[in-house]
Amino acid sequence: MTAGEVPTYAEGEGLKHESWARALRDGVLLGQECADCEHVLGTPKSVCPGCSGRSLVTVRLPTSGKVFSETTIEVTPEGLGDRYQVGVVDLGPTRLLGRMSDEVEIGDTVAFDGFVEYEDLPGPRFVAEPTG
Amino acid sequence: MIRASIIGAGMTKFGTHADLTLSELFAAAALPALDDAGIGPDEVDALYFGNTSAAISENDTHLGPKAASQIGLAGVPTQRFEDACATSAMATKHAVAAIESGLHDVILVGGAERCTPASGLDTDEMTRVFASAASRQYEQPVGLTFPGVFALLTKRHMHEYGTTRDQLAEVAVKNHHHGSLNPRAQHGQKITREDVHDGPLIADPFHLYDCCPFSDGASAILVVSQDAAESFDSEAVDITGIGHASGGVPLAEQSAFTATQAARDAVGAAYDQSGRTADDVDFCEVHDCFTGAEVLATEALGLVEDGEGGPAAAAGRTALGGDIPVNPSGGLKAKGHPIGATGTAQIVELTEQLRDEAGDRQVESPSVGLAHNLGGEAATTVVTVVEARS
Repeated sequence: MTAGEVPTYAEGEGLKHESWARALRDGVLLGQECADCEHVLGTPKSVCPGCSGRSLVTVRLPTSGKVFSETTIEVTPEGLGDRYQVGVVDLGPTRLLGRMSDEVEIGDTVAFDGFVEYEDLPGPRFVAEPTG
Repeated sequence: MIRASIIGAGMTKFGTHADLTLSELFAAAALPALDDAGIGPDEVDALYFGNTSAAISENDTHLGPKAASQIGLAGVPTQRFEDACATSAMATKHAVAAIESGLHDVILVGGAERCTPASGLDTDEMTRVFASAASRQYEQPVGLTFPGVFALLTKRHMHEYGTTRDQLAEVAVKNHHHGSLNPRAQHGQKITREDVHDGPLIADPFHLYDCCPFSDGASAILVVSQDAAESFDSEAVDITGIGHASGGVPLAEQSAFTATQAARDAVGAAYDQSGRTADDVDFCEVHDCFTGAEVLATEALGLVEDGEGGPAAAAGRTALGGDIPVNPSGGLKAKGHPIGATGTAQIVELTEQLRDEAGDRQVESPSVGLAHNLGGEAATTVVTVVEARS
């Protein structure tokens, strides 16, 4: 974790999609960490899948990780335009799906790089990071 | 243990049925199922109907009473099921439970779906409809499609086990061969490995022939109690286990991409109920929406060791005549995939195979068949074990 609680985006009731998306639009990648078992989630839940606890603390997720799997979508849904690459990024404590800005392969290091938008909903975008 | 029995089975040819409404399409499978059982609508006391996408693609909802009214069942209890591509296996699961509980005695179970461009929506529009099974908030905005879901799983499998594109192509070649023997298959033409490699890319590693087609079609079965089955003239087969499990959404948070854990949990339950193991399974119908999905399925079901799904396909072990024939119908890949009809279509194939009625694609004297019907991003799986009466 790069920081503890993030009250700006998740006051009172804990992290919901609305605040997760608002943070993403601001360039902040939020997730949750279970106060009981330390399980980390990249997308907000109401109950910890690790221990069924409900004390899920809003945290900033790591902003770089390694590509766990990827594919380039050639036949795209209506409204999404031409081919693009998506990937599952292993951020360490959790994995997150994102759009890839560059051609990447499994094992490549990528960094959080803002968001893409589809039907008024934001999704995370990652860019390749030079290695070495 | 016998949980329920099947006394009738019917399905349409899968392909394009743009001239039929959803209810008319269902009738084209339901009436043959009734005829197969030798009964009329007056003997059916419930309809469990599956459809996945019509609410989005055709602005058509509340489908149970519509389908019932089309086939003379107006008045019976009916409900509609939607669990992505596992829709009608789910309807079957609930029908079996209703038979066991005594809630109903004779249940017509099935599904119908219209997905082809001729039936309404172009490829990009239907790709969006299919993607509705992915997380609305955390996957759809990124642009994940269903070929994309299975491409992510398959590329991880290739990375971890060395599964090759040639092995994936062999799954397509095999299932097209099986489809060429099935008069109800959408794709009856044989293809070569080169045809698969040369096709346009959909989502790497999948080219066109790695992917099941958009399909229109319907299927239906009649489910009754074991005892009641003996009072009908048709040849019954028995459902001895149905396992059902779910996996996490979004996909990125599922523990192991190569395991399809929901399938492992579902088949474990189905084997426990039936007292069977993978060694007892004579053939199976698995959810090969993409070639990689069949590789994952054969491993999850315990038919081959983890990592051996690709080599097993390439060696012909999963072909008709092999040691564990997989998708003798042609599977989703060649037979077609009208989403809500797929689960019960798999059961129709099991029924015909177990009765030795499958013609040119007949598995040699099978006694135990298994169906694996998967929904969404491997987030729902239903596994059904069906056996011949000895």
